[in-house]
This record gives sequence, structure tokens and C-alpha cells, in this order.
Amino acid sequence: MNPAIQAILFYIFALGALLSALGVVVLRNPVSSALSLACCLAFVAATFFGAGATFLGIAQLIIYAGAILVLILFIVMMLNVKDEKPAAGNWFYCIVGVVVAAMMAGTISSAALRLPGATKGRCPVHVLAEHANELSPVPQGAQATHPPTTPSEYGGMLPPVSMKEGESDISLLGKTLFTHYNMSIIILSFALLAGALGAVAVGRKLHRD
Amino acid sequence: MTPLSHYLIFSALLFSIGLGGAIMRRNVLVVLMGLELMLTAANVSLVAFSRAQGLEGVPVYDAQVLALFVMAIAAAEVAVGLALIVAMFRARRGVESTSLTSLKD
Repeated sequence: MNPAIQAILFYIFALGALLSALGVVVLRNPVSSALSLACCLAFVAATFFGAGATFLGIAQLIIYAGAILVLILFIVMMLNVKDEKPAAGNWFYCIVGVVVAAMMAGTISSAALRLPGATKGRCPVHVLAEHANELSPVPQGAQATHPPTTPSEYGGMLPPVSMKEGESDISLLGKTLFTHYNMSIIILSFALLAGALGAVAVGRKLHRD
Repeated sequence: MTPLSHYLIFSALLFSIGLGGAIMRRNVLVVLMGLELMLTAANVSLVAFSRAQGLEGVPVYDAQVLALFVMAIAAAEVAVGLALIVAMFRARRGVESTSLTSLKD
């Protein structure tokens, strides 16, 4: 696909994801929040497709939007949750939430814009590994002599995904998953089992004497 | 193509919206949705780094495996969390976090 079209699609999907994430927080009805969350997760899955992680995008759609969202909607309807009413003193929590979230966003964004090697369009991990022997944690060559002003100076373009013949995203992911991380996935399956058992144990009816 | 930092800023904004929702809302179900948003934001940055660290156009798949693990743990977390919310609804007749005042009173 044309790289320019791919970039434009990323910005459209990211904007959609952020707007529907705002909908999750702002909407009063929990059913509307859950549907907005489904929309947001679908947009994020679309950005995964754009980044070349096709299997993760599919897994995101199936697990999050398919399984988790249906479970949340089922519980919302089973409990018959009403709209949240504004209560006295709620503005304090609103201010605290907005301030903490804005501080978080500013910190991470400024850190993302100052990554080593950002002006040269390279991965920060590679740049740091090359300069591991030097005293300064940030390599001299990667520091801009002037603060970055244009968008092309903020981080390099990611390389396009190009697979060899006979290789695909899912086969490489499967090779990594079932060779290096074989023991981890077994432990993870026990964590899922423990979660299911815990849900049954917490959710069963209590028999009082 | 999109630079790495734009993916990271997108992830930061998504995380912040989820964090703000978890702090501001009193409905426990919506707080759980905010937690889901934060986990998804972490997945976005993992996928972006997997693209950025790969050489010759082949991503590094360790990050995507980690993102897959995050999804599995999120599924387990939602199962336990929803069971806790149902138990809380039985005990308190509501899902408002302001009704949980046993330690305060």
C-alpha cells in the first residue's frame, strides 16, 4: 500500500480511537460506555493492522471486542445499572482526574519526542546499544543541536514491513511463541485457569447458616 | 510511514484517558473499562516498538508475544473483576464505588 495513504489512515484511526475513548469516560449510561469502548478497541485493532501486526489485530478484535465486551455488556444488563447521577463533591474528583491524566500524557509525550536517535529516524534501543560503552547515557550524535521544530524531526519513519518468501506475520509470531516463550505460555494458561476458578468461587451464592 | 513517536503519543493519550476515567467515574463497571483502555494503550506502544526495533522490515516478535500475554491476562482480570462486581451488587444493591465505606465508618 502507498505509505502516504497508510500514514493518513493511521491518523484517522488514532483520532477515532481517542474520540471513542473519550466517549467511554464522558457518557453517563454504562451501555453507551461499553459500546463506545467496543468502537475504540476496533479502531486500535485497525492501527495494529496498519503497523503490520495482523495476528494481534485479529486477536484484539476477537478477545476484546468479541469476548470481554460481550461479558461486560451482559453484566451491565443483568445488574440493570442506571445512569450515573452527578453528586455533590464530584467536581473534586473530576479536577483530580483531569490533572493527573494531563500530567501523565504530557510526561509520556515529551519523553517520546526526546528519544535518543529520534532525529536520525532510528530505533532508540539500537542507538543506545551502539553507545553503551560511552559514559553519557544519551549519545552525543543523537542530540539535536537545536530543538526539533518540524514533524520530520520528531522520530524517524518506521520501516515498511517486508517479509521473506514463505514467511508471514502469524508464522513468525508462532515460532517465537512456541520456542522461546513455551514455558511462559504454559504458566499463562494456569493463570487463566485460576482466573476462571476465582470467578466461579467469588460469584457463587453464599449459603449462610 | 508513521514515525515511532506518533505511535507513542497516541498510546500516551489513550492511557491518560483511561486513567482519567478510572479516577473520575464512580460506576465500578466504567472504572473496569478504563482499566481495559490502559492495557490496550500499553499494547499499542509494544506493537510500535516491535516495528521500530526490527531490522530489514521484519518486526521483533518478542514484543508482540508480550502484547498477547497482556491480552490473556486482561481476559482473566475481567472475569474476576466482573465476578467481584456481581458479588458487590448482591451485598450493596449498587455498583457505585462511593457505597464502599466499610473501612471508613
